[in-house]
Amino acid sequence: MLKHLYDTDCVTWSPQGKLFQVEYAMEAVKQGSICLGLKSNENVVLCSLKRQPSELAGYQEKQFKIDDHMAIAIAGLTADARVLCKYMRTECLEYKYTYESHHPVGRLVYKVAEKSQHKTQSGAKRPYGVGLLVAGIDPNGVHLFETCPSGNYYEYKCQAIGSRSQAARTYFESWFHLFEKSTLEQLILHGLSAIKKAIMEDEELNEKNVEVGILGKNQKFTHLNAQELRDYIAKLDAFNPNSQIQQE
Amino acid sequence: MIFNSEISAQQQHTTSPVVTGGSVIALVYNGGVVIGTDTLCSYGSMAEFKNVEKIAQVSKNTIYVSSGEFSDFQQVVKELAKIDRQALQYDDGVHPSPRDYGNYLARLSYKKRCKINPLYLQNVIAGFHNGERYLALVDIYGTYLESNFVTTGFASYFCKAIISNYWNENCTLEQAKQVIKECFKVLFCRDCRAHDVIQIAYVDEQGTHIEQPERVETKWDFNGFKTRANEKLHTQ
Repeated sequence: MLKHLYDTDCVTWSPQGKLFQVEYAMEAVKQGSICLGLKSNENVVLCSLKRQPSELAGYQEKQFKIDDHMAIAIAGLTADARVLCKYMRTECLEYKYTYESHHPVGRLVYKVAEKSQHKTQSGAKRPYGVGLLVAGIDPNGVHLFETCPSGNYYEYKCQAIGSRSQAARTYFESWFHLFEKSTLEQLILHGLSAIKKAIMEDEELNEKNVEVGILGKNQKFTHLNAQELRDYIAKLDAFNPNSQIQQE
Repeated sequence: MIFNSEISAQQQHTTSPVVTGGSVIALVYNGGVVIGTDTLCSYGSMAEFKNVEKIAQVSKNTIYVSSGEFSDFQQVVKELAKIDRQALQYDDGVHPSPRDYGNYLARLSYKKRCKINPLYLQNVIAGFHNGERYLALVDIYGTYLESNFVTTGFASYFCKAIISNYWNENCTLEQAKQVIKECFKVLFCRDCRAHDVIQIAYVDEQGTHIEQPERVETKWDFNGFKTRANEKLHTQ
């Protein structure tokens, strides 16, 4: 993105009706490594590619459990993500304390969006530089939401955000009509296939740099462990979505 | 926070109730939950307000009744309605289930109890949600108990024998209503703050149904009363 006039702060509109600070914040999301989510009638799967700052360092976790029925995957500034994650966890805990039931997913995403919007309308503040994919299950059904630094939020059947996410979204556009009735295993394989489209030529998927989290109507949020990841990655080459069409 | 802080120079605490409602009896039956209560609000020992409809419908499938300080009951009804209105604000069609109301009320009562300024109530919440019957008692201390039958006030002493002999959790609506009416007959005879006009409401799959108040039949023409009025008994 090039530099623009009228981009000094959030309280200045450009003549074209843009808030450049907010747009720049959304750039920060695009610079983060890819994470994607996809849902069926019963499950939501989050997949992300983890970055390793140096060979000596560990891989940066990108998926966080908010509550048994909800989890997020982040792309962008990890520190900002931590703040939002803490807020969401606190809200879920308070709701559980008061009502003994799970926080409705859409409502929590709305609250996060309100918080984010507030930062875009103040002279002394900056927008959060992180986009969240919120996966959750509540009595209204299975949900996947995306939140933006702008304070907007959208519900998706499947979505990818972060660096080179367009490749994953192209994969989704071809196959998302199968997701609704997919089994959990098929969903995970679709997710990993989509991530594979988004990695660099010299990179490869392994159990260290990929993170997969699953949620189901009867399944609390869990991460796949190293062995399960290895098994799924091994199945990727043989995975053919066309065979799923023939089943139906 | 649930309440704004009650700021005043000399904080008053609820030490005893002023206008009180009578006993509540709630029973589960095979298709839902039925609650009965009388229509009296007493001002101490005076039967002041005799036509009070004390059954509050807080949502499509939840009803709330309580015995104790009536102004606290009215306040709680407003608080419970507030939660439901949040659905309008968030515009997501998510409404609290009966259990959500019960737990919210328990938290509220506990908070007030901790400040030694309780909601002077024994609360009963009944509902029907996702094919499940729901009935809970929240008492003045914030104790939360889910159960198949609930009694408050003097009904806890006089009516449990009737309930255990004539009711089971899979009886019909008519049987449960009959048990409730019998209980209120006994209460009217024994409890000085009871009234013979009662109101029954029930929640089932279709929603809440609140019936019109009705008078329970009581019998006073016992021979003992008649002959007592006859002076001959005493002069012989």
